Amino acid sequence: MNEMELLRELAQETPLPEPAELDAARARLVAAITTDPAAGRPGAAPEVTVLQPSASTAQPAEPPRPPAPAPVRDAAKLMYGGAAGTVVQLIILLFYVGDIKAYHLTLGAHPLTTAQLVHLRPLIATLAIAFGLVLIALWLWLARAAGQGKNWARILSTVLFGLATLQLIGLHTAGQVFWAMLTWLAGLAAVWQLWRPASSAYFKSAKALRSRPPSQISGP
Amino acid sequence: MRRRRGSAAAGDAAVIESSWREPEQFAVLFDRHAPHIHRYLARRTGRQVADDLVAETFLAAFAKRDRYDLGHADARPWLYGIATNLVHQHRRDEARQYRISQAAAAEPEVPGHADRVAADVTAQAMRTLLNAALAALPDGDRDVLLLIAWEQLTYQEVSRALAIPVGTVRSRLHRARTKTRQILAGTGAAATYEEITSNE
Repeated sequence: MNEMELLRELAQETPLPEPAELDAARARLVAAITTDPAAGRPGAAPEVTVLQPSASTAQPAEPPRPPAPAPVRDAAKLMYGGAAGTVVQLIILLFYVGDIKAYHLTLGAHPLTTAQLVHLRPLIATLAIAFGLVLIALWLWLARAAGQGKNWARILSTVLFGLATLQLIGLHTAGQVFWAMLTWLAGLAAVWQLWRPASSAYFKSAKALRSRPPSQISGP
Repeated sequence: MRRRRGSAAAGDAAVIESSWREPEQFAVLFDRHAPHIHRYLARRTGRQVADDLVAETFLAAFAKRDRYDLGHADARPWLYGIATNLVHQHRRDEARQYRISQAAAAEPEVPGHADRVAADVTAQAMRTLLNAALAALPDGDRDVLLLIAWEQLTYQEVSRALAIPVGTVRSRLHRARTKTRQILAGTGAAATYEEITSNE
């Protein structure tokens, strides 16, 4: 038995995939086919479904999307993770607000007095909660939109990630730094996944699919 | 003379040609070759990565179908070439797959007759060494070796797939086989394995 026969024997350990394993790949190809400029011409395969208006809104139904590739799914998961990290950061921040000393805060060049701090503490806590909730909502909203192939979501995610980098400056406690870094790394990984070639192809095909008239969109 | 479009009897070139005007026809090519391309990718990168790469292979093929040379009736070399290029973009996944295969091969089988156990252990050792040998080969040599050994492509088909002259295919295969043999023979396991398998 020579090395070629050994290799063939080794190869036999990998069976052909089940048909269901290829469904997602086929769906992505079909989605690309339906967005091709030549598709839908007279003479093309006539598997065309006119999208019916939704009963509740009387708006045309959302066109079928190709399944998101792994990098986009991973990016969405990372962004949900980022939202969870922000929740933890918010909790830490609230503890910090409760424990804050007067000399930590200044108004202009002058440190606040204890009396002023006591007066301002509810306002600071309210602002912190509001800011944290906005951030969490942003994470969730962008994760959902990116998963749906909305190209603006990945652009906005990238811009916000750049801004979030500035947020790392001015952290006070070790807990804050740890969770902020963890969240920032999740953002970095998510942005990277969103700009990988497979993700770009997905965003492009999803955009083309949305821009086509409903009558040219094939059913799933 | 125009051949029948999209039928199972038609060659791949006819399917691709008809897909220029009727893109839907390209799905026929997917149904025909995707299982084997997926298996090739799974062998090299693992099933999970293969799920994505098989889609990317056919998306890339679809995007450049207008450049397909209709003189070649069989599109498999073209598809394997695209798939192989994609594997190169996932070198870490490929290296990990060989490590996983090595680890899996190193796990002992269920106990049995002493000779059988000895043969199993040697066969597992061989698989471990084979995976190590594959991981150690240069990309170009590995591509040629695997397309011929695993996918049964001819020298000409590999030449088309990788866009290299047939002479280069021969020399890469020779180099890859020599290195693989050296790695296997280096431990003396090859001889033992041959003895055992020839006695079965």
